[in-house]
Parts: sequence; structure tokens; C-alpha cells
Amino acid sequence: MRKSALLVGGAVATGLAAAVLSGFTGTTTQQGPSAPAAPNAPPAYTIAAGDSANLKGPKQPIFFRHDIHAGQYQITCQYCHYSVAYSSEPGIPSMQTCMGCHLIVAGSDSANQKEITKLRDAWNAKQPVEWERVHYVARHVHFPHQRHVKGMGPNACATCHGDVARMPQVWEVNNVNNMGWCINCHLERKVNRDCTACHY
Amino acid sequence: MSDNDQKSVSRRKFLSVLGTTSAGAAVLSGCSTEKVEKLIPYLVQSEDQVPGVATWYASTCTECSAGCGLHVRTREGRAVKLEGNPEHPVNAGRLCAMGQAGLQGLYNPGRIKGPMQKSGGSWRQISWDDAIALLGQQVGAAGAGLAVLSGAPRGSLTGFLADFTAAAGGRLVRWEPFDQTALRLASKRIFGRDEVPTHDFAKAKYIVSFGADFLDTWGPTVENQRQFAESHGFSRDGGMAKHVYFAPRASLTGLNADEWHGIKPGSETALALAMAGVLLGERGIAAPAGAPSVSVEQAAEATGLKAEDISRFAKEFAAAQPSLAVAGGIGSQHAGAVELCAAVHLLNYAAGNLGETVRFGGDLDRGDGQAAFTALQQAMEAGQVKVLLVHEANPVYGTPKAGKFAEALAKVPFKVSTSLYVDETSSQCDLILPGLHALERWDDANPRAGVWGLMQPVMEPVYPNRNSGDVLLAASQKAGGVFAKFAAPSWEAYLKDRWAAMAKARGRDAATFWREALAKGGVYEPEAAVPVKAVVAGAVATEAPAIEGTGDFTLVPYASSLLYDGRGTNKPWLLETPDPVTKITWHAWVELHPDAAAKLDVKEGEILKVTSAHGSIEAPAYIYPGLRPDVVAIPMGFGHTEYGEYAKDRGPNYLDLLGPATGEFVAYLGTKVTVERLREYRKVAKTEGNPRQLGRGIAEAMPVAYAAKGLTVKEAATAAGHPPHEINTEAEVKALEGWREGQVGREDGEGRRLGNYAGEHPLWGMTIDLGKCTGCSACSTACYAENNIPWVGEDQVLRGRELSWIRIERYWEGGTDGEPVEARFVPMPCQHCDNAPCEPVCPVYAAYHTPDGLNGQVYNRCVGTRYCANNCPYKVRYFNWHAYARKAFVAPFELQLNPDVVVRARGVMEKCTFCVHRIRGAQHTAKVTGAPIKDGELTTACAQACPSGAIVFGDLNDPQSRVRQIAQDPRGYHILEDINVRPAITYLAKVVHREPAHAAPGGGEQH
Repeated sequence: MRKSALLVGGAVATGLAAAVLSGFTGTTTQQGPSAPAAPNAPPAYTIAAGDSANLKGPKQPIFFRHDIHAGQYQITCQYCHYSVAYSSEPGIPSMQTCMGCHLIVAGSDSANQKEITKLRDAWNAKQPVEWERVHYVARHVHFPHQRHVKGMGPNACATCHGDVARMPQVWEVNNVNNMGWCINCHLERKVNRDCTACHY
Repeated sequence: MSDNDQKSVSRRKFLSVLGTTSAGAAVLSGCSTEKVEKLIPYLVQSEDQVPGVATWYASTCTECSAGCGLHVRTREGRAVKLEGNPEHPVNAGRLCAMGQAGLQGLYNPGRIKGPMQKSGGSWRQISWDDAIALLGQQVGAAGAGLAVLSGAPRGSLTGFLADFTAAAGGRLVRWEPFDQTALRLASKRIFGRDEVPTHDFAKAKYIVSFGADFLDTWGPTVENQRQFAESHGFSRDGGMAKHVYFAPRASLTGLNADEWHGIKPGSETALALAMAGVLLGERGIAAPAGAPSVSVEQAAEATGLKAEDISRFAKEFAAAQPSLAVAGGIGSQHAGAVELCAAVHLLNYAAGNLGETVRFGGDLDRGDGQAAFTALQQAMEAGQVKVLLVHEANPVYGTPKAGKFAEALAKVPFKVSTSLYVDETSSQCDLILPGLHALERWDDANPRAGVWGLMQPVMEPVYPNRNSGDVLLAASQKAGGVFAKFAAPSWEAYLKDRWAAMAKARGRDAATFWREALAKGGVYEPEAAVPVKAVVAGAVATEAPAIEGTGDFTLVPYASSLLYDGRGTNKPWLLETPDPVTKITWHAWVELHPDAAAKLDVKEGEILKVTSAHGSIEAPAYIYPGLRPDVVAIPMGFGHTEYGEYAKDRGPNYLDLLGPATGEFVAYLGTKVTVERLREYRKVAKTEGNPRQLGRGIAEAMPVAYAAKGLTVKEAATAAGHPPHEINTEAEVKALEGWREGQVGREDGEGRRLGNYAGEHPLWGMTIDLGKCTGCSACSTACYAENNIPWVGEDQVLRGRELSWIRIERYWEGGTDGEPVEARFVPMPCQHCDNAPCEPVCPVYAAYHTPDGLNGQVYNRCVGTRYCANNCPYKVRYFNWHAYARKAFVAPFELQLNPDVVVRARGVMEKCTFCVHRIRGAQHTAKVTGAPIKDGELTTACAQACPSGAIVFGDLNDPQSRVRQIAQDPRGYHILEDINVRPAITYLAKVVHREPAHAAPGGGEQH
């Protein structure tokens, strides 16, 4: 057990703020080049908010468009999933992170404006948005994100999560609870297949 | 953490569903794949919390008055583990079982959830505003009738309470049961210093304890134990100190002595003075004026020892310089305790230990003493106290019932408690203003001069209660008048002001001083020892104090290092952790010597009725050889009538037998009792199997002469005339060929190839030095905290189903045919055998060997055949028979769960993992940062906690690692080595001060 830093409660810990920033600035190489839209995919950025129920993946309380954020605007994954490079948990963005942009960005059309209004209302009401979880690893499995991001380099995220940059609504491309799927990858890459690598 | 309310709500909500890593807060099933997840983001990202990454805060432990420094590990905004602060001068990174269990006080289901007012005999919830207004009104009207009874460790709050009471002309009494008043008064009498001295066990080469249980409850036990291990732990260049213990009962401290002598209760004073006399005579020093002299013969008569033995002790004590004599423990706190402590001061003076191992200037005091308490009680009885505030004290439980404190309390018109729990005292109050736990609040502690520990909120309060400092400041403003001057906006501000003054006194910038102190856990300044000389004001009475009452037995109540004065009894970890001496869990007992038991025809578990002039109690018998035949011993800490569901129905309170305290302290030892059989039985839930080794060679020991020569256990046994067990068959001989050498010595990896088939990996291993282990059980409690081990309760312990991954075996040696009784302690975690018998019998490959030498247990694969446990020669595999976690981790206990470790489901075999989650965590970090794991950077929870430093963990493949160096010690051996399972744990044999001929290896009786 390593104690990396002993923090001081009730005071601003500038070190970690810096860590988040570096996660943002230092990872532009980790995002793959934006691929051209597949011919049979719905034209990106034009899906109306009301359509989200017909899309793959669980319907979210706000129709958050990964295809717009990660695809059109090429925001790196780690801008929002800030802790993925140094924690087992990737982190989900705080409402403040959303509002950092959406205080100004109000949406280009009425459908988007409607969704952004939901976000702003939630922020004003101090109520966090309850996202539906898409990827979920069973509790007896320990999946260290940081190690995989480090080891697999630029396409790390997409290897398991698919091309999120082209997903209007995120769905589970791979069943992350399928141990055979994990093991295949570990076999191909000739990495640790010990049981206690994940199960403890 | 002064976040606004909105934020705290969202954070808590967030935490309750986060549960992503493994053993999330909300769900306890081990192998569930059910998908019920929402992802709820923070509104505003906390600056110092990252999901999946531990955040550490420095703080100070308040479980007893020692004031150890803490590092608190928090995950996702919850404190999940306490460790010692390595920078702290008291505990130097270690922590006892009680300290570890502080978390169970924080998350205790018995915590009061908001202010309560008693009306018409029943409690009703009121708002904080109303509660503070009521307190302000009462305090403002009380005038000189204001009194505060505070049991908290000394700190800024003590100073505030003194000012607060003084403003109204009221009184403050600081009181706790184990306050060492006798020692303080003796210091005043002999040296003119009204303080408890500090002791240095590390320097001492010869330690004599007159009933001072310095490894149990006397003084800062973690510091004592650390220092004791330093001096009394064997090293080939440094030798080994000797420890002699005189008391009617051998406590844990007594069992760690090289010689225990159960002298007559009350005769310690004569013994100490006789020893001092011999010393002074030998050195030709004149006794201080007024100091009494006792001849060796008189002392022999008083104690029941032989005169030549007393001379021997004195001469050995004189020959070892510096030495150390200590007294003033609870188990020998009789009416003459001040005399005893004074005599021991003289003994240390005669031996020249002052300024060496006994130092003054630490300004230690642990309260105002029983006399101040009695004066307060008398004022209460006389109706002079109008408002009584009880802060972190439980006198209704902790004083003899015959003292009638409860009756005095009832005469106070308005009683306020700041207790976190409904205990015997707070339940009698009119208003409860529940305070915050030490991990939730701003506070400080000043256990001794030069040591100021800070506490900071490491998390949001579990319940929205308020810091007592804040409450009193707010109430002062409501009260106005003389209290208006307490105008600090918050306790935090008040505290910072005081620290700013401290900074100013040191010529430091206040903000920097504060921030540095917060990061380090406090301010630690070098000890300023004050030289003293013996002045001896007043004579030292040498005659034994009277033992009141009639009966065949003298009652010896004693305090356990787990439950202490009863404050630990609401924490299931401390109840489930076996008493280090008796190995009994969950319920009180009465100890009888085997001879006395034979005389009364009493068997273990028979209910005994113990009667004194003041009352009687009933509890099951336990036959204990470490006792004089004419005493009965009863543990303290049980017998709560309130204090939450875990403390209730745990047997009687020994204090029912004592008379009222009359003097400066409670004479715990001073009552005669009769013992009567009731012919009823109650099984004693103890965790020991066979209390004897029966020649199995589990806990080895060798005389110091052999250890100094560098003999191995087998060589020592042969030299002592006990040839080791013969290996019979040719196959066995062949199988073991080269095994010992190959263990750690060979570079080609051949020696451990069974355990380390991947070669280049680390090979994790452990050493446990039995010469340092005292059996204190801190490791065991640390393991419970780290590994989400559920407690199972008394009923399940009786069925042998406890899940203690690392247990402490205690074996008796001797005790028959006039041989002195000796205890040997063996911490027993999974041995992670290379040639593990559990692995091949698992039909589903749940038990298997990892490439880095661990004996892995894959819970999600386990189907519960229990073959592995049957085949384990060390019995370290524990089956989860019921869904224990559901019962053990009831809200809010589940907030303590370590998210890195899965919570095991029913029907799964579980065991020590060598803290595999710590290993993997360190490996992940090493991978990401590119910095390899250094030796010592990664350790297990048990090794981290061990106050003695007896446990060392590391990579056996690294020739430079500490664990490898220690494993090559000649004293090293493996338990049950002959069965060729090749454990990864090397034990170092205990070293005893004994003539070689008597050192029985492998446990005395050979069967």
C-alpha cells in the first residue's frame, strides 16, 4: 500500500487539481484520429433528442451525445473521465465539469437546447443527474483502468468500450463481465493470467 | 470539510451507489453480477477525493489518553482504515487493537442521530437550535452551580472547559478510571513533581514490573510495546533485556516476562524497598532522608518469595544499567498503591535510572484524580451543582456501584451529555447533545509536553451532529453575560487561534505552522527532561494494605487491552478478538487457579457466584494457571446495561463488588470475596484449541545462551538433550534434502521452485519474530479492518466458526510439578505453503498457487467443499457458514468496508491473502509510474500494525530485502516443518532467559 501524498483536509489541495489538468492536457495522443462516419450509421449530430429510446444502449435521463462531445468536438476521453490514468476508476465528470462549458454553450438547435436545459435545471436545483450505468464489472472482479490505459496506449478506451466517439448513445459493445473475453485479450498480448490478478 | 449542505447530500448519495470497485457500500453479496447501477456524479468535484484512490489524512487517536498519531485511509469520502503515523513520537507508525477499532466507534449503529431531550421519562428528538438555546439558558442561569465532568484526553478543549467553567465560578473535573493518580502522587511525594513520569523501555536492560501492565493498559501501551520489543527482543549483538513481573495475576505483561512471581497482594512495596536497600548497600549510597528500609528477610516474609531470590533480583537489577522498575497498574492498585509507587521511585533512584529510563518533565497527567471526582459527587449530593455537563466520560458505569454516583447524578437538576452513544451516564441525563467522533471533527490532543496532535475531519459526519466545542461556543452566545467572551465563530476558529498563539510563541508564521502541523499530524518537539532528586516528603508505609471484607479469595479485577475501562465493549471487533491471555470472546468470566478449582471441584464454564460485602456477580469459570491460588480474577469492561446492543448481556460488572472509593484513587485490588458454585453452566466461547503444544514444535523457544551462539532450533534442542523428531522413511529424507538451504539461500531459484514456478516474479514471504511478539492481537484487529472480515458472534465462536484470518495461538508451557508457567504466543496467518496441501484437493481449482508465491483463494470459484480446510495442517482456512457479512456490516458499519477487498458470500472458504489487494495495488502503481516497488514500501495490514515490529513482509527473491535477511536468522524455523509443506512464513524462535537444561523445545511434554 503506497501512500502517495498525505492530504490536508479542509484546505485546497492544489496537487490534485494539477493532476486533473495534466490528465486533460497530456493525453491528446490517446484519442484515435476521428474516423469518417460509417456509411450505414445515422448521420451524426442530427438525431433528435426524442429518438434516443430507439437507439442502442440504455436511455439516459439526459440525451448526452458522446458522438458530439468526443466525435464532433474531439474532446479527449480524459477531459471528463479524469482519473482513468491513475485510478482503477475512470471517474465520471462532476456536474461542475459539464457546466464549465454549458454555462455558455446552450445548444445549436432546439432538441439540443432542450437537453442542455435539463442539465442547467439540475445544476440550479443542485440535483446530480442519475446516469444509467452501461459498463459494469461484477464485484468480485478488480479491473484497474490505469494499468490498461498505460499498457495499451492510444486505443485503450476503444478496445473495450468501442468507438464511443460515434455513438449518439453509449451501448455495451463488449460484455465486460465475460471472463473469456478478458482472457482472450490477455492471451493475445501474453500478459498475466493469474487468477489473483483480478479476483481477490 | 466545510462543504455546504447541498453538496454533502449529493456526495453521500453518490457514495451510496458508487460501489463500483468491488465490495461497494451498498451490496454485500460476493459473487453477484446483478446490474442495478446508477452513476451519480458529484455536483462539484471534491479536490482531495478521487474514486478508486485512497486519500490519507493525519489525525490523532482518542481511544485512550496515550494520544497516538494516526494516518487515516479514506476512500470515496469514507474512513476505511486507521494506521499509525510513522512521524509521531508516541506510536511511531504502530497502532493497537483498540486504536484500530476506533472505526467501529465512528460507524457504530448505536450512535445517537441528533439532540435528544428527556421529557416525562422518555426521549424526544429536538432541533439543534432548540437544544443549544436550552443549554445556553441553563448554563447562563447556573452560575457557580455549573460543573463539567470531562474524560477526554488533554487538549485545547480541556483549556476551553476550564475557562468556560471558571467564567461562572463553576468547576471542571477531568476524570477517567485509569488515571495513574497513584503514580502521580508518589512522584509528588518522592521527587516533588506532580506528574506521571515517562519511561523508556527501549534503553532498559532489566525491567521489573510491580503489577504495572505496561503491555495491557498502563501508560502509552503502543509506545511501551515498541520499546519493550527493542530491548527485550533478542539480537545477537545487543543481547536481550530481562523482564521480571510481580503481581498476583499474570496479565499479558506478566506472560511476556521472563519470570512471573505471584506474590501476595499488597506485598509489592516491601519487595521494592528491600531491593532498593540491597542496591543502596551495594553501591554505598545513603538512602534519601526519611526513606524506610525493609530487610530482604522481611520482604521474603511479606511476599512469599525466597530471600535469596529477592537478593538475586536486586543484584541483577543493579548489574544491568540502565534498568527500569515500574508500578501503578490497575491489577495491583490497592489502598497502598501510592506507597508502592513511591517505593519503586526509590528503587529507580537507587539504581540510577532517573533521567535515563525514568524521566520527568513530560508534564503527564491523566485527570484530576478520584478525590476531585468525589468532591464533585459530594457537591452534587449537596445540591450545589445545578447544571452538570458530562463530556466523554461514563462514571455511572465506571465507578463502583456502592459509590452511589447514579444517585448523586439524579440530584442534579439539569444534566447534559455530549456522548456519541446512549451509555449508562448519558441515559440518565436530561439533554444529550451528541458530539462528533474524533475522525469527524477539528480538535487537538496534548498527551505530553512537546507533543501536540491535531485532529481534522477526514470525512463528513456519519450523523449530522455537532462538535462539542462548537455547541459550547454557540451556547455561550445564547447564555450571554459572563459567557459572552467566548465569541469564536466556530471551534475550528478557536482552535486555529490557539495554534496561532503556539506559532507565535515559537516565532513561526501561523498559517505555515498550521499547515505543516496538519500534514504531519501535529507538532512534535524534543522532550525537555527535568532533572530531579529525591526529596521524600513523608514516610513510605511498608506494611501491606488491608484487604477489606471476608472470604477465601482476594478479588483481582484487571483491565484488558481490548475493552480497557469498558469503552471498547460496544465495538464487535474488540469483543470478537479473543482476550490475549484467556482467548475468550464476547462474555465475561471468572478466573480461578487450577488448584483452587480442584479444591472447589469447579470445571470450566461452571457459573460461579462471587460475593463481596457490597454485592455479588455471576459468571462462568475459567481455569487459569497464571494466578495465585488464593485470588480470583475478573476482567473489566463487561456488564454494561446500556451502551448499545453489542455491549449488553455480556456478563457482570466487577465494580458491583467493590466498596465506594474513598481516597485519591479507586482501590481496585482490596476486596475479599467468597466463591460459590451454582451448578449451572455456560460454555466459554474461547478460540483456543489444545492449550498445550503436545510436542508438535509449534512455538519454539531457546535459551539466550544458545541463541547468542547462533544455534538453530534443532541444534538447540539437541544441545538441551531433546533430539528433534526423527524423519523415518527414506522417501521423507529424500524429499527434505536440501530444503532448508534452498529456502532462501540459493540463487538458482531451485529451492522454492514449487512456490515460484514463474521465476522472475517476486516471491512474497513473511517472518514473525516470536521473541518480539507479545500476543497483543493488534495484527488480528488490523486484519479484520483491512479485509472486511465479519465478526460472527458468541454462538458461532462456540461452534468454532470465527473468521479470524490471523489468529494468535497461546500455548502453555510448564505450570505442572512446580515448573513455572510460561506462555508462548504464535500469530498464525495462512502460511502460503509452496507445497500446499489445500491446493491439490480443491476440485474446482479455487485454491491454487500464484506465480509470486501466494496461496491464492478464488472466492468466486469456490463451491464450498471444505476439502481444503480439512487438509490444512495449520487450520487457517475459515469457512463462511452463514451470510455473516449481512449481520456484521449493518448500517452504518458497511461504510467502513474496504472497497479493494471483496465481501465474501456464504458458502465460501476464506483466508489470509497476504493482503493481495495491497500487492496488486502497489504493482498497478509501479506499472503506471514506472518506479519498481521498493522493499518496505509494501506491507500487509498485520505487519503494518504490529506494535513490536515482529512481523516483516517482503520479497524473498530479493537478496537485499529485510524479510530475506531475517529469514536467514539461525533462529528461523517453520511450523510443522517435517510435513514438508514448505511455508512462506519463517518464525524466529522465542528466546528465554533460562538455564539451557530446562529449555524444552517444541512444547514440553513429548507425547
